[in-house]
Amino acid sequence: MTVHLSRRYTFCASHRLHSPALTDAQNKEIYGKCNNPNGHGHNYEVELTLRGHVDPVTGRVVDLGKLDLLAEEQIMIPFRHRNLNEEVPAFRTEVPTTENLATEVVLRLRAAWPMMFSSEGPSLEKVRIWETERNICELGI
Amino acid sequence: MIISKQVEFSASHICRSPQLSDAENERVYGAAANPLGHGHNYIVEVAIEGLPQPVTGMILDLKHLKTILEEKVLDVYDHRLLNREVAPFDRVVPTVENIAIDIWNRLEPHIDSTGRAKLYSVRVHETSELFVEYRGEQG
Repeated sequence: MTVHLSRRYTFCASHRLHSPALTDAQNKEIYGKCNNPNGHGHNYEVELTLRGHVDPVTGRVVDLGKLDLLAEEQIMIPFRHRNLNEEVPAFRTEVPTTENLATEVVLRLRAAWPMMFSSEGPSLEKVRIWETERNICELGI
Repeated sequence: MIISKQVEFSASHICRSPQLSDAENERVYGAAANPLGHGHNYIVEVAIEGLPQPVTGMILDLKHLKTILEEKVLDVYDHRLLNREVAPFDRVVPTVENIAIDIWNRLEPHIDSTGRAKLYSVRVHETSELFVEYRGEQG
């Protein structure tokens, strides 16, 4: 039986939205306050949705300990209390918008997934990231 | 079109499988394997799929939905020790996954006797950080 399981993680980080491909005036116009050269921060919430079959013995779709470990290694340690522009390699070239952050989370999880779960195990279905209560980005796989 | 309704219940459970050793149970379920049990405030979100009926403007009778949620879910689950008081959890581990499947099975035959509205999904939130969604055998 297929079940869709979602688990949430929270981290705090700072960023600045600024594209080197745009002029200062364009950056200011597009990103507004988020273009502040000193940066600013958010309490991000990341929701991972997995799909899989319920194991008849454990009644679980996923070993939550393994999922938490994967999230800790791939999301929390790299992003928690970091300056995303300076400390996450992808954001030295990409602008750390919520859209690009969701893409980066998916890339990291997909790359590490086979080390944690077998091919018969759960698969990643969707990532949702809350930058604030009002800004939410969803990326399906 | 999909309409959703939410109800809450509080219950205790013990996540231990008789098919696993004590050490395996501790590893798989962590603190939830405590043999003395623990509890949650569960939130159940049911989504019904259908089209608004031309006369009533409603997908289904919400009073009926409220009644079956009370009879089939709350009367069964609220303020219970799931392992002892709610079948099938004398046989299967009352994980949030199995709770969602059981609630689907209890509700699905009773949603709408005319067959126009159908159960689309059952979401069960165990904590603010963990929920599952079940969409039946086909989902």
